[in-house]
Amino acid sequence: MEVFCTSPWVPPEWIKAHGLEPRGVWLARDFACEPLPLSAGVCAFANAAVRLAERQGQSAVIFTTHCDQLRRGFDTVAEAPPSRIFLFNLPVTWQTPVAERIFRDELRRLGQFLIGLGGHAPTTGELVEIMAQYSEARRRLLAAASWCPARAYAEAVARFHLDGSVHLPERGCPQPQRPRSVPGGEVCERLADTEPAAAGDSRAPGAGSVPLALVGGPLPQSQMPLLDAIEKAGGRVVLNATEAGERSLWHASPLDQGQLDLALLARGWLANCVDVFQRPNTRLYDWLRERLTARSVRGIVLWHYVGCDLWRAEAQPLRTAFGLPVLLLDADETAPQRNAGRLEAFLESLR
Amino acid sequence: MNAPADMTAPPRKLTLDEWDARYAQLARAGLCEPDYGGPLRRHVLLEGDLRLRQLRFDNSAAALRLWKFLLTENQRLHAARARGEKIIGAMKDLGTVPVMAYSLPGLRAFYPDGAWWTPCLMECSDGLLQQAEQLGIDASFCPVRAMLAAFQNGEHFPRPDALICSTGAVCDDFSAIAQRLEKMGFPIIWWEMPRRRPPDPGETACALPGDLSAPEVQVDCVREELERIGQVLSGLAGQPLDTDTLARGIHQANQVRRLLAALRRSVYTSPGAPLPALELLVAEMLALHFCSDREETVGVLTDLLAEAEGRLRQGQFVVAPDAVRVFWVNPVADLRAMNLLEDWGGRVCGSDYMFTHALDLIPEDLPPLEALARTALADPMVGSTLERARRIVADCRAGRAEAVVVSRIPGASHCAREGAIIRDVVRAELGIPTIELEVPPISDAMLPTLASRLQALLETAKARR
Repeated sequence: MEVFCTSPWVPPEWIKAHGLEPRGVWLARDFACEPLPLSAGVCAFANAAVRLAERQGQSAVIFTTHCDQLRRGFDTVAEAPPSRIFLFNLPVTWQTPVAERIFRDELRRLGQFLIGLGGHAPTTGELVEIMAQYSEARRRLLAAASWCPARAYAEAVARFHLDGSVHLPERGCPQPQRPRSVPGGEVCERLADTEPAAAGDSRAPGAGSVPLALVGGPLPQSQMPLLDAIEKAGGRVVLNATEAGERSLWHASPLDQGQLDLALLARGWLANCVDVFQRPNTRLYDWLRERLTARSVRGIVLWHYVGCDLWRAEAQPLRTAFGLPVLLLDADETAPQRNAGRLEAFLESLR
Repeated sequence: MNAPADMTAPPRKLTLDEWDARYAQLARAGLCEPDYGGPLRRHVLLEGDLRLRQLRFDNSAAALRLWKFLLTENQRLHAARARGEKIIGAMKDLGTVPVMAYSLPGLRAFYPDGAWWTPCLMECSDGLLQQAEQLGIDASFCPVRAMLAAFQNGEHFPRPDALICSTGAVCDDFSAIAQRLEKMGFPIIWWEMPRRRPPDPGETACALPGDLSAPEVQVDCVREELERIGQVLSGLAGQPLDTDTLARGIHQANQVRRLLAALRRSVYTSPGAPLPALELLVAEMLALHFCSDREETVGVLTDLLAEAEGRLRQGQFVVAPDAVRVFWVNPVADLRAMNLLEDWGGRVCGSDYMFTHALDLIPEDLPPLEALARTALADPMVGSTLERARRIVADCRAGRAEAVVVSRIPGASHCAREGAIIRDVVRAELGIPTIELEVPPISDAMLPTLASRLQALLETAKARR
């Protein structure tokens, strides 16, 4: 059974170790791909999660509590039988033992939910092996951040969240030239066979383009043309810090072969969570500071869904903290070209 | 308490101008006022509370005391600071941290969140919403953004000695604004409020006020967090918040909650309304942090209850018995909306202003911190909207509601979906008409829209009789 996740902070290893297939929603085929009539203030991403839960009759969907929109989106589908919907309580604080306790208990509960769906309790051996595979995949993706074109990179990371596999282009080429192995030794499909080409724009990042950071919320497949638009306008995303971008590629600590210690697992996984919803969200700023400096970023594109207060409120703090110009862009299903003009003006000002 | 016969008058609502004359009448009759007393108009002239000119107020001495108590809070806080008391800014939890703070001497807690009404009271002459926009928090956020500007300009409440903010299962607007505040140089002590869930099979269940339940692990987590907060408060007070001290504080908080419960019961279940909806809204707000004076809150509510009960004995109503009984969900950004409901033929027979957990009694048969943790977890905004809707249904039945109004707070993230869920449940369970409408901080420009929609609701409800 497939288990769709709406947040990268629910460890896919945990789901896999229970014998089910984790699927991050960002590259899911029928996720957020149609314009929806939304009532005022409803986040399109959260609404897409609700629609996914309604449509996926044979799969499970994990919502997370990190924002009001997803919490209440869960409320609209929670009571529909059978119960294939789970709300994972992501702690917002991170500096106290209570946060770890909450996360640990949620892992336990999620495990029971997965067993109820037909999964099995994980053995230490299985979990160690799966964690190693996912860690290696994340390591390879992190290493590719410095050279992989932005669109291909975003798709590669989203693909990793979708099925754990790594699809990267050869250096200097925008598309993967041959299949790459996935964890477990299965040969994956070619990215070019299954996903749309990168909007006909096969430029590799070149001299003269302005290095930018793309920071913000979820960037599902339907919104990835934004990366092409940035390149077309003369920018180069050297840091993809969207929700399911580079920020979500954390290293899990090696698990002691001797014992499945949920507390240690929780501590390790929670320690890697870097997101805007955390309180305080200083971890996000520390994470960004290191990379913005190292990659000589000259501007920040702050990406958010309409109705997302958590990201929108960070526009000025980001400007102040890093001394960089910030362009606020929102996902507008009805006017995707609106962003193109603003990007061009932004990049013009940075040249 | 003021109750001589020549002070009473048939209940009605007065404009500010009419209150000038009424105040003079009460003064001649020997009105006894606390030190914060005086005519309402003073707040228009000296503090710029211009909205008072548009509101209509109950004509009782008890209502005057209530309004004066509310409108003098900032002065009270400044006076407390001048006396050397420590000011605690509790944020978001709405009814929990102040219970702890007021258990200790020398601490005075308030909710800076309450600044959300300043733009209404001052008819935006305060400039807080504009200042918030300059800080990057624009009208896409809830009016609580006024709090941010109020901290920055320091022209309203004193800067607290500590800011203690609940986070987690709280609305995104407030969380984002509070984080912004911290980045502006106001350190915040965050504490986690997990999203309440029903116990899973095999989990130990804990009963919460409001007929709710939660798993023991969640109660334990909240209790641990409150323990940490208690240590902070103890440090500020210079004495420990031990079990007995907190138990006494809870007992005194429950005294306020009992008075409020009696007031709500007498007003909401009566044939006609002995007190107006606006005064009941303000009275309910006192439960949150006692308007920075717990002892005085008891006096204010005692007076109001006596007034209500006295009117009921006399069969006197400020809103006629044939008014449509309306259950009101969510507080209004513009206080005037509560007047308007009654002007157009409705009356409030029940309410959920987003803090029903601050109205329920805190259990006194449990260890105090455990009791407070359970009560905090009963926050209607912390659990599922469905649970909130079920309580609304139960309260509608108790108040014999004929209609439900879900008041959207402009820009509030939780309002995007909750209204539809609540209305669906109410329609399915009760079959009464419902409406969702947005009330901005100054609703004057929207009066025709509000009028047509509310009047349509009330007419629909009447037609069903």
